[in-house]
Amino acid sequence: MIYSLENITKSYQSRNGAERALDGLTFNVQPVERVALLGPSGAGKTTLFRLLNATLRPTSGMLQFDGNDVSAMSSRDLRQMRRRIGTIYQQHQLVPSLSALDNTLCGKLGSWSLLETVRNVALPKKSDAKRAMAALESVGLADKHRARADELSGGQQQRLTIARVLMQDPDVILADEPFASLDPALTETIATLLLGLAQNGKRTLVATLHDVDLALRYFPRIIALRNARIVFDKLTSEVSREDLTSLYAGDSDLAPLVDSEIKEHSEFSKQHRAP
Amino acid sequence: MILKSKSIVNSANNIARPSAGHEWRAAPRVNLARVTAALAVTVALVLCWRAAEIRPTALFEPGTAAALWAFIRGLFPPDLSLEFLRVVGSAIIRTAALAITGTTLAIAIGLPLGVMSTPTLWQRGVLLAGEPLGAARLSIAWLSRGCRALLGLLRAIPDLMWGLFFVVAVGLGPLAGALALGVSYGGMLGRVYADVFEDVDSRALEALHATGATRLQVFLRAIWPQAKPSIVAYTLYLLECCARSAAVLGFIGAGGIGYEINLSMRLFEYGQVLTLIMALVGLVAATDFFSRYLRRRLHANAPAGSLAHEHFEDEGGLRRRADGRTRATLGIFIVMIAASFYLTGFISQTRTGLLSRIIHFVGQSFPPELDGGFLRQLGLPLVQTIGISVMGTLIGIAIGAVLALPATSSLIFAGEDEAGNRSPVSRGARALVYYFARLALNLLRSIPELVWVLMCILAVGLGPFAGTLAIGLHSGGVLGKLYAETLEEVPARPLEALRASGARPLQILLWGIWPQARPTLISYTVLRWEMNLRVSTILGLVGGGGLGQAIYNNVQLGFYSRTTTIVAIVYALVITMDWLGDRLRSRRTAI
Repeated sequence: MIYSLENITKSYQSRNGAERALDGLTFNVQPVERVALLGPSGAGKTTLFRLLNATLRPTSGMLQFDGNDVSAMSSRDLRQMRRRIGTIYQQHQLVPSLSALDNTLCGKLGSWSLLETVRNVALPKKSDAKRAMAALESVGLADKHRARADELSGGQQQRLTIARVLMQDPDVILADEPFASLDPALTETIATLLLGLAQNGKRTLVATLHDVDLALRYFPRIIALRNARIVFDKLTSEVSREDLTSLYAGDSDLAPLVDSEIKEHSEFSKQHRAP
Repeated sequence: MILKSKSIVNSANNIARPSAGHEWRAAPRVNLARVTAALAVTVALVLCWRAAEIRPTALFEPGTAAALWAFIRGLFPPDLSLEFLRVVGSAIIRTAALAITGTTLAIAIGLPLGVMSTPTLWQRGVLLAGEPLGAARLSIAWLSRGCRALLGLLRAIPDLMWGLFFVVAVGLGPLAGALALGVSYGGMLGRVYADVFEDVDSRALEALHATGATRLQVFLRAIWPQAKPSIVAYTLYLLECCARSAAVLGFIGAGGIGYEINLSMRLFEYGQVLTLIMALVGLVAATDFFSRYLRRRLHANAPAGSLAHEHFEDEGGLRRRADGRTRATLGIFIVMIAASFYLTGFISQTRTGLLSRIIHFVGQSFPPELDGGFLRQLGLPLVQTIGISVMGTLIGIAIGAVLALPATSSLIFAGEDEAGNRSPVSRGARALVYYFARLALNLLRSIPELVWVLMCILAVGLGPFAGTLAIGLHSGGVLGKLYAETLEEVPARPLEALRASGARPLQILLWGIWPQARPTLISYTVLRWEMNLRVSTILGLVGGGGLGQAIYNNVQLGFYSRTTTIVAIVYALVITMDWLGDRLRSRRTAI
């Protein structure tokens, strides 16, 4: 098991007392699984993400990564754990004034010694630079390696975050709304990249999505969150139309998407199920 | 659909198009331009080091430690006897009066000159587009440019130097200080006013102008209402600056806290010095508080368009009450100004031929001395002044950088909610380091350079090294605070991504915070260097070396025409530095 969550709760202090962002979550993720997290906005997806990459501490419950209890880890252990998790954020979170190449190199930060870090600010090590170029190459940004991150278009920035994760070479990829604010053609490209990365590199992939269609198409397993709780946790082939309509009940803007070709997709996901 | 998806997944690696010519190559580290630049900078730094007479060993001589120890021991306990507190009280009142008189004079000088030097009104733009290019219009345009140049001159010469001249012209006392403040800050204020008037939305001017309004009407109805909030805010900020300056002007005989500090230092009464420094810090803090309070109040009564205004419109009672309080504040203001003018001796002295004395002094100062031998004598102090400013700024950068890191709350108290365990001991130690760094920065910053000079003279003796240290200590405090604020305000999202991939704090600092903060840090530093150059021209007045020493000597000897020459050099120096600073800033931020 790569992730094991037992009764995880996360609450934030607010003016009206403690507010629960996550309430009693229990599930496991196996290595090389591909899981989509679905749910209306405010369901707690992003909070769950921060718990999974250990930048946030659960209020209660047990979170294990690869068999180790996260709450018992020292800062050093935590860094070692995070090194194995590549996160793709919704707002890209690139360093705007650094070049595409430097942003890609950032993926490697966790495995550099302090001396290497200082050295690489001035001039990156040849092997690292070559790897970074290869990563940029595979997302089609090699010709932009000198451009500043904030000079790139939205789609290019999204590809750059994927290059950063490629550089990091993690065991787990967490992607928070990787297709938000992308047009259909770009969505296709990014999805291809991301799934290729997960499948060919034998990596676990957990992604939050607001687009049901994409979840059904590319992910063998779906975990649905609503109001901080898990509504269902099923193989995509077993997800019914009723499941989805009840998940988004009251969210008129997403309801039409549910009527897409569920049957077709479940056949597809049977063929692409994770081993 | 299925087929397509499948092929996409399988072709994930094919998206890597073979590319030609995008091979990564290390930028050549050594080239002629870089070597030349590095050499030039090295030579310049060595020259500055020599000119500022930097002697690091002087800091570690046994005598230095003993002198410093004696000084620090002397500071405690502070002199809190009733007799001395009465002296401190009257010094505070005099300094405050000096600051208020100075600000009032600055407004009286800055407002008309500012209006006169606003290009939209007199030189170009929508108001003048249709008018014929007559002799009258041309001459008024040149007058306007002249006013702008005059403002530049008033601003470029440091307030202390103005103080020295007014001491000669009108005699020792608070009046000289008030005039100095008025003239130098008038220059600053006028320039800011002109910029604010210039930046207002020109569509309103155009509309009013089209209806046939006169220039005065356009100014009162279209420019002033738009400019008012900025004008008021900046003027109040100036009051704070004047309070600091007023304290320092005491050093050259304007009375008040600075005078008392200087006196107590020379009498070796260090306990009194500590009391006075505490009083000074308190006065500056009180002015800060007062002006911030006023600004908030005025913001609540902000002009049309602001949210606050609409809020008050809804609740008429509240607005009327606010108006009433504003009127009360205005009354207090007028009383304070009148009292200040009385205390600085403005009223009594104006009757005894103030203007004629000033004119007499100006007459003696011209024409400037241009004798070759005299000019050659000025070479060394000039280089010394530049050297002091450069080395002082470098020391300031070092002190600021060292203290800024522990004073950055986002670095020290990173992620309270973050996963991972942090022992209470580690938390406590971090908090301790943070508050110590903040305290040290506040202390360094709130003691003016001239007071630092006096203390440094105790340690390393008279001369440019003491001045360099003084500038370094004060700007270390200023820069450290600015650096810490900049580091704190860096957008946090990219940092989160780095932390999530397992980066250590130092790695986040180098790869996430530094690249984002760099342009701002450089810009603040260059700005400080510009200010330090001004300061280094006056350090000589209290024995800190540089051109100030030459001015002081010549004023004492009554060689006023020589003084004029030196002032011209200072002016040229400051103008050059401003130009250089602008270029450095625009280049650096572009990178």
